Amino acid sequence: MANAHVSDTAHHDDHHDQPATGIKRWLFATNHKDIGTMYLVFSLIMFFIGGSMAMVIRAELFQPGLQLVDPGFFNEMTTNHALIMIFGAVMPAFVGLANWMIPLQVGAPDMALPRMNNFSFWILPFAFTLLLSTLFVPGGAVAGGWTLYPPLSEQSGDAFPMLIFAVHMMGASSIMGAINVIVTIMNMRAPGMTLLKMPLFAWSWLITAYLLIAVMPVLAGAVTMLLTDHFFGTSFFNAGGGGDPIMFEHIFWFFGHPEVYIMILPAFGIISEILPTFSRKPLFGATSMIYAIASIAFLSFIVWGHHMFADGMPEAAQLFYMMSTMLIAVPTGVKVFNWTATMWRGSLSFEPPMLFAIAFLFLFSIGGFSGLMLAIVPADFQYNQTYFVVAHFHYVLVPGAIFGIMAGVYYWLPKWTGHMYNMTLAKTHFWLSAIFVNVLFFPQHFLGLAGMPRRIPDYAVQFTDWNMVSSIGGFAFGLSQILFPILIIQCVRGGKKASAEVWDGTHPTGLEWTLPSPAPYHSFGTAPEIR
Amino acid sequence: MSTSETRVLDTSLKRRIRNGALGLGVLAVALYFGFMALLVYRSHH
Repeated sequence: MANAHVSDTAHHDDHHDQPATGIKRWLFATNHKDIGTMYLVFSLIMFFIGGSMAMVIRAELFQPGLQLVDPGFFNEMTTNHALIMIFGAVMPAFVGLANWMIPLQVGAPDMALPRMNNFSFWILPFAFTLLLSTLFVPGGAVAGGWTLYPPLSEQSGDAFPMLIFAVHMMGASSIMGAINVIVTIMNMRAPGMTLLKMPLFAWSWLITAYLLIAVMPVLAGAVTMLLTDHFFGTSFFNAGGGGDPIMFEHIFWFFGHPEVYIMILPAFGIISEILPTFSRKPLFGATSMIYAIASIAFLSFIVWGHHMFADGMPEAAQLFYMMSTMLIAVPTGVKVFNWTATMWRGSLSFEPPMLFAIAFLFLFSIGGFSGLMLAIVPADFQYNQTYFVVAHFHYVLVPGAIFGIMAGVYYWLPKWTGHMYNMTLAKTHFWLSAIFVNVLFFPQHFLGLAGMPRRIPDYAVQFTDWNMVSSIGGFAFGLSQILFPILIIQCVRGGKKASAEVWDGTHPTGLEWTLPSPAPYHSFGTAPEIR
Repeated sequence: MSTSETRVLDTSLKRRIRNGALGLGVLAVALYFGFMALLVYRSHH
């Protein structure tokens, strides 16, 4: 088998087992662990920048009327909060986890293309500096929402081309990261590790990487055409010139819906690693989990129209998008069932990664169910553009994607640092997050059902009470996140020594647990044999 | 070359990695221009 060559064909340059010192270690990093660390730190910084924008939004919405910021700046906050959280926080966090864990899980010495790995990371700080600098240019940042619908998005000043360039850079970075993941998994697995023996996290990332390569160019194409409409006199999306603004929505959501799965499939992989470990049982239906992820990925390409029901479309199209969207509940249900069956009669223990994984299971399901409600065409006409939609996608992305990331960090952090972290602090972080994420987002369902529109800085007095509750939840959730970097810094600096298995007594499966903690700077110079 | 870099020495593995990366890169670029070409075509019909 081709992969058997890895062991005697890869070596570490100069046979140094120590990283370079100083800034060079990071600027010229080609080691997957260093690059993974940079991605994770970057995403944490972006999480707090995007989070501070969310705090501005919730502060303004604490009571009706205009209090703190002018409406234009409020719109800039909603737009940039989304762009930063999606492209700056969630996606780079998953790429960071992939960089750290995929080579360790498949028994490879590094990612297949280490220098491209360096390049794909270092694009990001420039992209987001450019994006954030739009807040300071004349006319302010783009304020038309992260969907960049024309003609609204084109009504920005100098910020518009800067944003388009930043989106291109983010896309290039994502595509290069995806290529690296696919090429690593397909060529550098340890001897004997067939695809079906591969851990679920690596599997979820393999499928996610194909999604990225398929849809990021579509977004890039769409925003390039926005640019030509704005500066070069074309009218692709300009109704005044014979173009079709609805066409942009189709293209955007052809990217946008798979993008939603790009942000959740790796979390599915992480949860599929954690639940068996802390249930002390193998994952129930592991093969069906892989097929379920693949089915969800396939379906993500044919459901984009459900974002556009209110635009108007033929009844046959409405039915198709409604049915195909509901069909996603089948593979998702398989996953939820299998996770539950994995825990059933298991010998459960509730360490921080397990707590986050269980919260993911319950709270992501709430987001999934409200998604089913939104898929129903006549119901969608009622919910469209209301806070119900905001509640839905935040349930998917915060206790879904972000809890998945936190579960992964809490699971593998001792393997990265060699130290156990402060369990009490981690559990405090979990309980505060789990309680206040619900205080923050659950009332938004009520607001939406009562008709409160999204993306507005002011609202009718009848919505006051639940907005106050939601804002209090938001501030508490935001403050409780400060515990996370404190805990990570403590863990990096010292703590109880972690064993190779880390979670003693759980007997976790996977090659990463065969390495000592911390994982050596160069691992699997000799490939392990999988039987 | 960085001291942190792990080099792949086997030529056939190197070739597979290079071809895989190039193939996926070409696919991404083709999708980028292909979608724009599709829209240009649609805007004329």
